[in-house]
Amino acid sequence: MPDSLPNNPSTLPLCQLPAGERGRVLTLAGDAPFCQRVREMGFGEDAVITKLSGSATILCQVGETRLALSHEAARRIRVQVIGPSHSGGA
Amino acid sequence: MTTLPEHLSSSSAVSTEAASAAAVGGGNRPSPTYAIVGNPNCGKSTLFNALTGLRQKIGNYPGVTVEKKVGTAWSQHGQPITLIDLPGSYSLAARSPDEAVTRDVLFGRRAETAAPDRILCIVDATNLERNLYLVHQVLDLGRPVILVLNMMDVARASGLAIDASHLEHELGIPVIPCEAVNGKGIVELRMAMSRASLPLPRHAWDVPAEIAPAVAELQAALMEGEGKPALLARAEALLLLTAAGSAAAAREASDVATFAPESRAATVLSHWQSHWRKEGVDWAASLVAARYDAISALCERVVAQRKPVSAADSASAAAHASRSDRIDAVVTHPLWGWLVLGGLMTLIFFSIFTFAEYPMDWIDGSVASFADWVKEALPEGDLRDLITDGAIAGVGGVVVFLPQILILFFFIGLLESTGYMAREAFIMDRLMSRVGLNGKSFIPMLSSYACAIPGIMAARTIENHKDRLVTILVAPLMSCSARLPVYLLMIAALLPGDTVPVASKVGLMLLMYALGTGGAFGFAWLFKKTLLKGEPPLMIMELPPYRMPALRAVARQMLDRAGLFLKRAGTIILSISIVLWFLATYPRAPEGADESGQLAQSFAGQAGHLIEPAIEPLGFDWQVGIGLITSFAAREVFVSTMGVVFNVDDPEEDTTPLREALAAATWPDGRPLFTPLVCLNLMIFYVFAMQCVATVAVVRRETNSWRWPLFQIGYMTGTAWLACFVVYQVGTALGF
Repeated sequence: MPDSLPNNPSTLPLCQLPAGERGRVLTLAGDAPFCQRVREMGFGEDAVITKLSGSATILCQVGETRLALSHEAARRIRVQVIGPSHSGGA
Repeated sequence: MTTLPEHLSSSSAVSTEAASAAAVGGGNRPSPTYAIVGNPNCGKSTLFNALTGLRQKIGNYPGVTVEKKVGTAWSQHGQPITLIDLPGSYSLAARSPDEAVTRDVLFGRRAETAAPDRILCIVDATNLERNLYLVHQVLDLGRPVILVLNMMDVARASGLAIDASHLEHELGIPVIPCEAVNGKGIVELRMAMSRASLPLPRHAWDVPAEIAPAVAELQAALMEGEGKPALLARAEALLLLTAAGSAAAAREASDVATFAPESRAATVLSHWQSHWRKEGVDWAASLVAARYDAISALCERVVAQRKPVSAADSASAAAHASRSDRIDAVVTHPLWGWLVLGGLMTLIFFSIFTFAEYPMDWIDGSVASFADWVKEALPEGDLRDLITDGAIAGVGGVVVFLPQILILFFFIGLLESTGYMAREAFIMDRLMSRVGLNGKSFIPMLSSYACAIPGIMAARTIENHKDRLVTILVAPLMSCSARLPVYLLMIAALLPGDTVPVASKVGLMLLMYALGTGGAFGFAWLFKKTLLKGEPPLMIMELPPYRMPALRAVARQMLDRAGLFLKRAGTIILSISIVLWFLATYPRAPEGADESGQLAQSFAGQAGHLIEPAIEPLGFDWQVGIGLITSFAAREVFVSTMGVVFNVDDPEEDTTPLREALAAATWPDGRPLFTPLVCLNLMIFYVFAMQCVATVAVVRRETNSWRWPLFQIGYMTGTAWLACFVVYQVGTALGF
């Protein structure tokens, strides 16, 4: 994990990640079909995800994909904070 | 590629042989069938249209195609090639009914559609890795595949260099770079599709060692027990194992009863799953991870993320990214987003009232002069009355609203092609979650503003059965374009002439749309609390990138819609108007009865009188009642019915526009019939009532029972009656 900060292994649910911050997906909770679809869409464990905005509904970016996640869905994705995004959006 | 584990290599060897046989038998026929497969929103339907010359609906939001569409393309040698356009899907492990269509067609499980000989996989080149996941599953099927790298221009502009020939070499299949929107690469694609024989994919990947024996065993069970060909059996085994959870869940996900619960395959599956549970192996997750490992290794070899070729490219890529960000920052903002939505709706209705006036007056005038011409040209009699008071009055009354319908579809087309639809779903998600649904359900509801039928079909993208049902039940409450003529006629009667500012007409129209939308939310909440209880589903929805509106596609959709509208006017509305004229003219009243006496004792009049006691408390008389009955066929028939009913009054007079005829209508005691309160109440009635046979038929088909459409008619029309009763009684008591 080249981008992670080894001395600061702070982990949060995606819904609590501040806007503009990047995180690496650590674990997925929730029902199996949900987890499976998250993985199949390419943001399962180890994917880097940037939160763009939102509290009730979350807007985030994974690679070239812009995603909307309901708050409940974002609560089930636990991420390790990497730091602020450099490119703003993507 | 790395070496396959031993047990898998052996099964692979079997597969290749079988695949060769299949390729010789079906894949390389002179007139092969191609299925088009890809992620949602990667340009499948655009490509389908480019290849077939058809005009399949396209849009920049997921869920435009929810059923397979078949068309014919022509090979270079003039031979027909059948093309099947399939709904977008992220994975063959389907989660929703539309994705299930794609999986079932590919696996040859649909009785009416033979498994396609060849497959066209379309990928969005800007998002290659994610898109290749589905391609990877498709390659498992061992059928000839052509890979189309769509949106190469956008990928290039964002600095991605994809080596298509290297990818072709790696996968062993033709890879065609393409820009479907502007037709680039279509010739090359057609050439590839015309090839008499296509190579089979060189496709090998490492199934995780702890899962590989299960794949082999399951494959064998499916081959022996179900008689499936080797490669198909292996692909199905992988699919069964990708569906997480119990064996029953896997069977359900891979859909239903391709093998019985007590079959050998089911036993093998349960055995392995309980074994892995004990060992703590997450088989489904590790299969996905293994695929992605193979894909990212492939991408590393074929994709170079380089600096954009020119400063202009670089600038345009950066500008595009930041433009998208800036737009999203506003339109998905909790406050600004709502203001933008409200502003857009106001703009749409404002345009409908302002710009439609001239063409509308022109159509009104032409219809009237045509009717007058017929009156002069034909001798007095039933035939003349049938044409002027039946056909022309009925059809003309509806056709006059064509300009408004076109303006509405112009805006809907713009919103659909820019990518804004998905953002609306985003800002609605918060509200939707309050009523127990999620933003994804809002897309079918949005489509229902145009027409409930595509809206109800789009509900197929919703994974959860109960939520899909709730969405179907409330979608017809969104005001569709067929209500527009009714609203416009009533607003014209309510706020006549030019003395009233356009703003109040727009306000009234917004109120009706808000009432319908609010009703949809209210009933969704009620149904989720009572009939169809369940947790709100977790939403993950891809938001498509913004694109410049495709004006040609918008114009095409407007033309299609105009054609559809005129066709309805020329068929359903014309025939109902003619039948209605007979029903309003016969049986003849005794000599000396006046025209309204004639209508009153006609068949239509008798039917109106029959329901009058039920609608009188709403302020409607038997003549309006005739309209309420006939418009069960389609809402705009109310307008044509009013045209027929109120034009039979004075056959000798020059034809007047319907609005004026309504203003002159009275109760027997001379009170005006269409008071402002009654006009308002009629609009409210049409906001809620389920007045559309076609919708009833579609709900019957989509829910596979009569129970839900009948329930829908009951609750919607019941609500309409109750709301109108309250408004009329309170309104009258207050002196309106």
